[in-house]
Amino acid sequence: MPDAPATIRAATDVGGTFTDLVYFFVDPDTGVQEIVTAKSDTTPPDFEQGVLNVIAKSGVAVDEIAFLAHGTTVVINALTERKGVKTALITTEGFRDSLEIARGNRPDYFNLHYEKPVPFVPRYLRREIPGRITHEGRERQALDLSGLPGIIDHFRKEQVEAVAICLLHAYADPAHEQAVFERVTELWPEVSVVASHQITREWREYERTSTAVLSAYVQPVAERYLGRLADGVRDGGFGGQLYIMQSNCGVDSVEKTKEIPITMVESGPASGFWGAAELGRLIGEPNVLALDIGGTTAKCSLIEGGQVKIISDYWIERSRASAGYPIMVPVVDLVEIGNGGGSIAWVDDFGKLHVGPQSAGALPGPAAYGRGGTLPTTTDANLALGRINQDYFCGGEIEADMVAVERSLGELADKLGVDHADAARGVVRIANNNMINALKLISLNRGHDPRDFTLVAFGGGGGMHAVALASELGIRKVVVPRAADVFSAWGMLMSDLRRDYFVTRLLGLKAGNADALDAVVDDVTDVAVAQFAREGISRDQVRFRRYGNLRYENQEHGVEVLLPDGPIDADAIGRIAETFHEAYEREYTYRLDAPVEFVGTHLVAIAEVGKLTPVPLPATGRELEAAVKGERSVDYATEGIHVATVYDGALLEPGMRLEGPAIIETTGSTVVVHPDNTLKVDTYGNLIIELDLIIDERRAP
Amino acid sequence: MTAMTESDPITLEIIQNSLQAISDEMFAAFRKTAMSAIIYEVLDMGTAITDAEGNLASSGAGIPAFVGVLDKAVKRIIELNGEPGEIARGDIFATNDPFYGGVTHLNDVVLAMPVFAGDELVAWTANIAHWNDVGGMVPGSISNEAHEIFQEGLRLPGVKLIAGGVPIKSVMEIMKCNSRLPDFLQGDMWAGIAAARVGERRILDLVGKYGLATFVAALSHFMDYGEQVARRALEGLPKGTFSLEEEQDSGAVYRVTVEITDDEFIVDLRDNPDQDYGPNNASRDGSLVAAQMVFMNIMGSHGSANGGHFRPLTLLTRPGSVFDPNPPAAFAVYYEVEIRLYDLIWRCLAPYLGERLPSGSFASICGTFIGGPHPDTGRHFTIVEPQVGGWGASGAADGNSAMFSGFHGDTFNCPAEVAETRYGLYVDRLALNDAPGGEGEHRGGKGIVVEYRVRSNGCFFTCAYTRNKHKPWALDGGREGSPNYAEVVRTDGTVEEFAVVTALEVNEGDVIRIHTGHGGGYGDPKLRPREQVLEDLRNGFTTDEQARAVYGLEEPAA
Repeated sequence: MPDAPATIRAATDVGGTFTDLVYFFVDPDTGVQEIVTAKSDTTPPDFEQGVLNVIAKSGVAVDEIAFLAHGTTVVINALTERKGVKTALITTEGFRDSLEIARGNRPDYFNLHYEKPVPFVPRYLRREIPGRITHEGRERQALDLSGLPGIIDHFRKEQVEAVAICLLHAYADPAHEQAVFERVTELWPEVSVVASHQITREWREYERTSTAVLSAYVQPVAERYLGRLADGVRDGGFGGQLYIMQSNCGVDSVEKTKEIPITMVESGPASGFWGAAELGRLIGEPNVLALDIGGTTAKCSLIEGGQVKIISDYWIERSRASAGYPIMVPVVDLVEIGNGGGSIAWVDDFGKLHVGPQSAGALPGPAAYGRGGTLPTTTDANLALGRINQDYFCGGEIEADMVAVERSLGELADKLGVDHADAARGVVRIANNNMINALKLISLNRGHDPRDFTLVAFGGGGGMHAVALASELGIRKVVVPRAADVFSAWGMLMSDLRRDYFVTRLLGLKAGNADALDAVVDDVTDVAVAQFAREGISRDQVRFRRYGNLRYENQEHGVEVLLPDGPIDADAIGRIAETFHEAYEREYTYRLDAPVEFVGTHLVAIAEVGKLTPVPLPATGRELEAAVKGERSVDYATEGIHVATVYDGALLEPGMRLEGPAIIETTGSTVVVHPDNTLKVDTYGNLIIELDLIIDERRAP
Repeated sequence: MTAMTESDPITLEIIQNSLQAISDEMFAAFRKTAMSAIIYEVLDMGTAITDAEGNLASSGAGIPAFVGVLDKAVKRIIELNGEPGEIARGDIFATNDPFYGGVTHLNDVVLAMPVFAGDELVAWTANIAHWNDVGGMVPGSISNEAHEIFQEGLRLPGVKLIAGGVPIKSVMEIMKCNSRLPDFLQGDMWAGIAAARVGERRILDLVGKYGLATFVAALSHFMDYGEQVARRALEGLPKGTFSLEEEQDSGAVYRVTVEITDDEFIVDLRDNPDQDYGPNNASRDGSLVAAQMVFMNIMGSHGSANGGHFRPLTLLTRPGSVFDPNPPAAFAVYYEVEIRLYDLIWRCLAPYLGERLPSGSFASICGTFIGGPHPDTGRHFTIVEPQVGGWGASGAADGNSAMFSGFHGDTFNCPAEVAETRYGLYVDRLALNDAPGGEGEHRGGKGIVVEYRVRSNGCFFTCAYTRNKHKPWALDGGREGSPNYAEVVRTDGTVEEFAVVTALEVNEGDVIRIHTGHGGGYGDPKLRPREQVLEDLRNGFTTDEQARAVYGLEEPAA
């Protein structure tokens, strides 16, 4: 069916080096959904120029783009490279040091030389004002703004560019924060200001203060960026809707994003995980472990019942070596490890092999790039084992320097006292094990059994490792999406306008509190409805999902359960309690006969904004043999060396089936199909790999 | 079948990584389900896996002072339950008594579960956590007045709590009945049981996948690796005998001699006072944990510890002394004795070990106990919390401000907003301490001042802080840090000051103000770069007067 002209949906992604464009359109003659990609240089500081350049380069007519989704690393880069603005903080009297005291933890606990994260606002720019709200949201001490003019003069003199406000218990009642916000804006209209309640309504003052501070720190940078981008594409002739990818797996308008740009902080991984959730829905796989293996990291997330898990317990720069910095914004729950194609393999002083987290990056890159890299990477090991085609490296764009590969692996092998092949197998096995542990963290440590999930693997390295990981975890089915290397862009185009609201309000879960509980949920729903209304989206266009965060009285960590639709009355309270007991027991193996507390609510509000509708890939009736490129010897590490049939991924089409051992090659990725695997191509062109079930039976509890 | 039976190094490595992952998973499960804030927030808890004999194979996150506890507990449980068949599949044992493998004090309850592959005992999973109340003479069970362990609560002498998967009701009822907070006890106990069982399941998965022989080989290989790391670290240390004696706030004098040879690290504590009449005693196992921690610090280890790391370490103690007391010694405040010992060994070696060891820190748990009726609900509340304080400077950097002591690790303080809700106190202030102290070329990190305003009558306050009279020590010409203490400001304005107090009555309007110390400085303050002194002045980390008098600043402050 030919579509109207302006139906092209495009996604742009501004990376450190390249700005990518992916667009999808339905060919009016064939009905085929075509995917076109283009790449051009990123152009700092005028990033919008790079976006316009890549649009021009792709050949797409700007005025035919109906929906343009934009993902950017501008926020996370400004944070990690410390390229935000000079920021000051206004807080409650007695609490200016909260930001520096933080939580006092030291994850690297045997290290006496631990370095505590340095606060983003130094002490002299942290100022206090009197006034107290209680935990119940009552005023205990009136707000005294008489000192504010002096504080603002001080900030001006210090050339502060952004002011964060965070007052105690503002999550319960933001009145004092609002008053400070308004007065600061009056006194100093030019400065960028953000108050904690605008971002989050959850308790814990250090986390909320950190959130407000980091948000203020990046706000001017991100606002300028978004403003120039919107103006730039409009001046370039774009007349469609521009949406910005968010960390909660949704997109949002430019205007809304400009208000609180820190919500973009993890937008990069979010789009891929959303893609995995949408793909799961499309192909009837509601429970998905999503794995994105890139050049320097691997990231994973868990999707249950078609829903991504959005949390507000998010930290940057947190690791076994550092406490990091909290940001209380809705972020997809993910685990990231320093383990990608470019991760360097090394041997420690005691002869133990490690892979990552150091990466060879793009320069020098893996030894195989022939750009002076001498250290072996996961990619080099995959080449040496014949898993990656040395004659079709990077889609044939780079000639693999196999001499450098063998040299780098040789040094590793000498240190380990094994031969080259064993060293290469070791690298792949350790890399796989690192990723298995990441997948365990996101599943087992959250109370889920990975055997109940389908593994959806994407990114450049997803298909290379997916089957080995699945088999270790007892997962029966692996899906490698069509165009796995641009899957994040696909996810962006599948996104809805989505907003997540978290509100803390401690209430006993009992019939007598039904009205209060109903009011909490209603109030936040009203806030959401009002926000959508301002953008011309009516209530009936918005879908809501309401969660309660529940726990046994006196516990700390809650379990999120879906609340029933409709008003929350005494009857609903009983059903909520039963849902909680069941969810708790499922996750922790026991339940208690103890009172239950409602800690707060999490509201998800979703409006559809014309996302892509995937269409089946037409089958031409091509024979499978036509897709065969040849065969080669492939080392499957623990499963031995086998002669694998090599297929051209571009020539596979729906309905085709093949057996492992096999290798599927496309320009952007390689899929390794193990012996005894069965692969079939589904109607959308995705590769569905079924694993031998012996593994699962052996591990049955 | 793709299961491997050969013990190639990569397979061993993968099993070791998996054991770490299991310890972490047990930790996550425990933390999420525990009932007491001291477990889930302060993370006064630990998890571990040992081999069949109780040698430490892997430990989870949490606090380093618990890392070396669980192996000792498991070994003692094995000894105490030595009859054939006494240890069986599905059992869970409990101990909290230092005379029966409990290592610390009665509040810390260890749960240990044997893991059987078929009929063979292959490993143990274990965890420890601070339970809020196990009975005894005061709420919270910790009293500075106790002089016999019988006064400190219910003693669990390595007994079975669950037999073959079935809870032993009589034991559980006795435990609940002996606690002032039976609901908390029950919740925390089940959290520990669930964590131990998760570990058991995962270990059996591993054994099933790789085979028993490979699994056992991996454990043994991992401990050998730990030993190698330790021996390599020993090679780099100066050899000789190092001694130190130090007077404590109580007036007692503690002494240590450390002998470092090519292959041994011997900590001799035999020349120490007789055991304390009160609760200021550390069990021999507890003293060993303190020595093990310093040893790990010196090794510069970033990973987790296992039994192999400690093979070169020997501890000598004298039965009947404060570091190896006889029954019926009391242990409630063991943690201050143990951290004093830890700090003593550290201080003894610091001048000789170059950059490895920084100056002394506030080095007290600063255990703070406040309880009473909640003003909003009328229910009883109890705060059991350590405090954050300043760490010592090193030759390379200023000390960290406001961190938990070296006994703690991934331990979190309680947010004021949560404390006000949960405990019904007002937190009037939480600030870095502006007292003088800790100056140096690199300065000590800052302690804190926190103020709790009591909202109901009939509350109590208990604390037992050390490093009060004798302040955090400095190195290389730096200045001493500042003291740890608490003040109680009464509504009439009178101020009482304490380092140690038991069950002091506090009432509505009284303010409990806690001060924790700065860490010691490193190097002559006059050598501190001027721009850093000016920055400290601007941030209020030093005063004009100190900047001139101590740092020798001549230029006028900006």
